[in-house]
Amino acid sequence: MSPTATTAVLPDLARRDDAAYLDFVEGFREYILGKGADFEDRLDAQARAEAGRRGQAWTDLEELRAYLQRFPLTQMRDRLVRTQQEMKWHRLARSYSDRRKELEAELARWDNQGPGKLLLDPAFKVPDYANVEFHLQPGGYYHDALSGFLYHYGTKVFFRGGNDQDELHGALVGRAPPPADGKVRRVLDMACSVGQSSTAFKRRYPQAEVIGIDYAAPMLRVAHRRAAMAGLDVTFAQRLVEKTGFPDAHFDITFAFIVFHELPLRIIHETVREAARITRPGGRFIVFDFTESAIKSPYQLYHRWFDARHNGEPYSQDFCDCNLDAVLANNGFSADADVMAQRSGGAGYVKHWFATRV
Amino acid sequence: MSEVASAPQTPEGGTPIIGPDPIYLRDPLLDATVRMVVELTAQMWVERERRMSLEARLTEAGVLPAGAADRWQPSAELAARLKQERDRLVDDVFKELRRIPATAVSQD
Repeated sequence: MSPTATTAVLPDLARRDDAAYLDFVEGFREYILGKGADFEDRLDAQARAEAGRRGQAWTDLEELRAYLQRFPLTQMRDRLVRTQQEMKWHRLARSYSDRRKELEAELARWDNQGPGKLLLDPAFKVPDYANVEFHLQPGGYYHDALSGFLYHYGTKVFFRGGNDQDELHGALVGRAPPPADGKVRRVLDMACSVGQSSTAFKRRYPQAEVIGIDYAAPMLRVAHRRAAMAGLDVTFAQRLVEKTGFPDAHFDITFAFIVFHELPLRIIHETVREAARITRPGGRFIVFDFTESAIKSPYQLYHRWFDARHNGEPYSQDFCDCNLDAVLANNGFSADADVMAQRSGGAGYVKHWFATRV
Repeated sequence: MSEVASAPQTPEGGTPIIGPDPIYLRDPLLDATVRMVVELTAQMWVERERRMSLEARLTEAGVLPAGAADRWQPSAELAARLKQERDRLVDDVFKELRRIPATAVSQD
């Protein structure tokens, strides 16, 4: 690794040691969330057995929390889950801050370079609901000029090496069905962050106009830089998902990847309404997000409870408790929804909604 | 787990977010200890990764005969740099001590 490689798609960290440290966090995360420490299956079995003794499923989250937190195993799980997240951000923020000047210059160098456009709005006011350090990321999504780079590297660790070349985004976009008539002229990537889905859409539909929107300027700058470096003509614009400003029936595909659980309930409803307005009849509204509470295993319910409070996801519980299928139906969508992958102890964590604008 | 003060909330509500440095174990000292163990393991891996990489490169290049690293003595300048690095390592591992709340009491 060159110590000065700011020009890589994902810029190198300041030191090789930082990369090795984050490599450790990646492996440690896999260990505590997977079979290594085996927290999930053991705690899920405990909770299921207790539900059996009580003769009823867990419906009261507070009761489930109180029951599971009696166990040192849960306490240690919580400690370690929080710790690995703190370690990741602490090291990452320190490392990129050590290269701040060159990284900011690198971003500035690309702002006005094509292909593609970066449309930032100097008068844009980020809504109060976004003022959250989601996933404990220092400064959240928009308070630091380097937030986009931090987010990108942070998700590299989160996906445990499985998304270094946007493999996940490419696969998800690949699964998203086009409209039945096959016409894809315009695609909107809602809350696009660093634009990994946006570029995947441009690769899948090279003739289509692809637009990614987000409230966070630092994310959009990285998104634009990534797309331009890849030679992809994508527009990234600073706009709100609940008030996009696009004309009625403008898009053939409107896309939202793990967006809704980071929006307050009020904005979830507004965003689905907005998607219904801007997606043309017969067009698709593609959503990937967390599974609803009703189908979660006891451990998954606890995990959600924990992440909402301890991993900076304050709106996620409300999202999991809301019935997105009904919200979609009430706004003129017919949705084909399914859980994406089964995990031991219950349904998977992520679900897709392939909705069609009626 | 003993709940700690919540972080500032957004006007939109949602679930209250826990503030910095929550305590998950029965005693803040235990939380600090676990954090130190994990941090130490990370630091150990960083060092091991670098040493293994360097040793492999040196062996491949035929730069040093086997065992030379054990017999080598650093210059004064490098020794001073090593001490600086050592101090940074100590703080990386033991900064957790600063996070133990002064007012916390152990639970029985």
